[in-house]
Amino acid sequence: MLEMKNISKVYGNAVNKVTALNNISLTIEKGDYVAVMGPSGSGKSTFLNVIGGLDHLTGGKIILEGERIDNLTENELVRLRRGKISYVFQQYHLLRSLTALENVLLPLTFCGIEGKKTRAIELLERVGLGKRMNHKPNELSGGEQQRVAIARALVNDSMLTLADEPTGNMDQKNGQAILDLFERLNKNGQTIIMVTHNPEASRRAKKTVFLQDGQIVNQVLNKKKQKYNGGIK
Amino acid sequence: MKLYQVVLKDILRRKRRVLFAILGVVIGTMTVVSILTTATAGQENITAQLEKYGANLSLLPAVKSVDAGLGTLNLGIVNMGDNYITDDKIPKIQQITDTLIREYRPDIKDVGNIATIAPTLFISTTVKGSSVVIAGIEPQEELQIKSWWQIADGKYLDGADQALLGSQAAALLNTKIGDTLDLNNTPFTVVGILGDSGSDEDYQIFVPLATLQRAFDKQGLISTIDIRALCNGCPVEAIADGINRDIPGIRAVAVTQIAATEMGMLEKINTFMFAIAGVTLIVGGFGVFNTLMTSINERKKDIGIMRAVGASRGQIIKALVYEATLVGAFGGVLGYFAGTALAYGLGPIIFKVTTISFVPLYLPVAIGLALCIAVLATLYPAFRATKIKVAESFASV
Repeated sequence: MLEMKNISKVYGNAVNKVTALNNISLTIEKGDYVAVMGPSGSGKSTFLNVIGGLDHLTGGKIILEGERIDNLTENELVRLRRGKISYVFQQYHLLRSLTALENVLLPLTFCGIEGKKTRAIELLERVGLGKRMNHKPNELSGGEQQRVAIARALVNDSMLTLADEPTGNMDQKNGQAILDLFERLNKNGQTIIMVTHNPEASRRAKKTVFLQDGQIVNQVLNKKKQKYNGGIK
Repeated sequence: MKLYQVVLKDILRRKRRVLFAILGVVIGTMTVVSILTTATAGQENITAQLEKYGANLSLLPAVKSVDAGLGTLNLGIVNMGDNYITDDKIPKIQQITDTLIREYRPDIKDVGNIATIAPTLFISTTVKGSSVVIAGIEPQEELQIKSWWQIADGKYLDGADQALLGSQAAALLNTKIGDTLDLNNTPFTVVGILGDSGSDEDYQIFVPLATLQRAFDKQGLISTIDIRALCNGCPVEAIADGINRDIPGIRAVAVTQIAATEMGMLEKINTFMFAIAGVTLIVGGFGVFNTLMTSINERKKDIGIMRAVGASRGQIIKALVYEATLVGAFGGVLGYFAGTALAYGLGPIIFKVTTISFVPLYLPVAIGLALCIAVLATLYPAFRATKIKVAESFASV
């Protein structure tokens, strides 16, 4: 479904250059739930950004469902975000002026789709916010805001959800709830790539990819009771 | 949920910011509208004053002045012909004048006399040992033409044997209200004294025309006729030509020079006002530009969010332009009313104009102007905002 071939990303100029991604190749299948782990500066956020078209590649290519998505124009990226790829951010990134329900409806507004309110309500109920859908972000806890963001990511029926540290701003309990939700969504067929620095969170995914210095240093299949092995080999 | 609803909700959240932007537009529009309104009122006021300002036409007896000379010896000027106009020509003059005005201004529906025709007979005589000029007038017509007349003391002429004195004449003759003046053995009661006008009139004595004609045995005779065509831009030249052509013995002269000069001055003032309005508009425009620029920069993150969930660049620009339209429309309407209110304050200071009126035409002008400023000031920052990469817009917060 998603294929990365020798992708690299270099920031800065010739004198002052930082290699964030160094010749990474990875294939992700439909229905996968992949956690990307690694220390700070290992390139995991950049990895997610280049997949999502939030940042450009320096080399290599990314193919989603047979279509190259690393060299898309702005307008083509818009199409990508309208139904193929959705994001869940560490900072939730909800619009402050809109209620939970309106935030979930927002992607549909930009697609020009109306009257899918039941779908949005259903999603909010699924993430456990059926009773709080008319609250604004500042009236919701961090965990609740993240669940709104997840509902928003799903409203467009996107084929791939990219989550950047989705539990990074949360306490244990709320974090668990989000991870439970991801697991449920994945069981229902949603493909998820999640960046995290939390080993516990990464073990909830089907597979964990370890990054260091812009390279994949290990890939682990997370069987349910497998013990965390420290991350590197 | 539609895009405009998203915009409205965002505006409601940022009420104060948006109000500041509106205020910026209001100040620009207000200044322009107040200047335009004051200029318009000033123009109307000057036009109205010009319409009141005396006669448009002066009719004099057609005296042929011939330079008489014998060889190189100059014998001065010899006047040939009558020194008077006979008053049986007045109906004909009225008819010619009114016909031409009706032709020129079909919108005037009045069936009666349009032009005011004021005949005057001047008699030079001696009263109480002083040489004075007595003017025989038709009181009502004269008053219409000399709208600047102020009665300093007493009242205006309303009887056949009454006299109205110029201020200097009253002083010279040591006369007060109620005194009787003997003019060629006809007694006149002084009923009023005029205020100073700074002209010859201050030295004259005004009495009803018919009485004066009888007193000096000049029945049916008039020295001059003043005509005021009661409209701005009336064809005074054409009327003068018509009278000169059709009525022998009269020389009609158009009085247009004063009006032309004052209109020229007014135009200069207007140009100056428009220049100020233009500069204000530019300054105001920069203010609005700055406010909107800041406002958009503050929302970089929100713009990034919208883009991340599928907004196209066009949709972002559209959303920002919606907001600018609202800011412009509100700013324009408020600016119009504030500007008119300001004109009420400014008008009297600049033009000594007391009648500032709402100029409804300036409402669409104000709104149009405000919309243009707001939208133009938004387009550049909006366009720039959409150029920022989504990831960068998040990094900036």
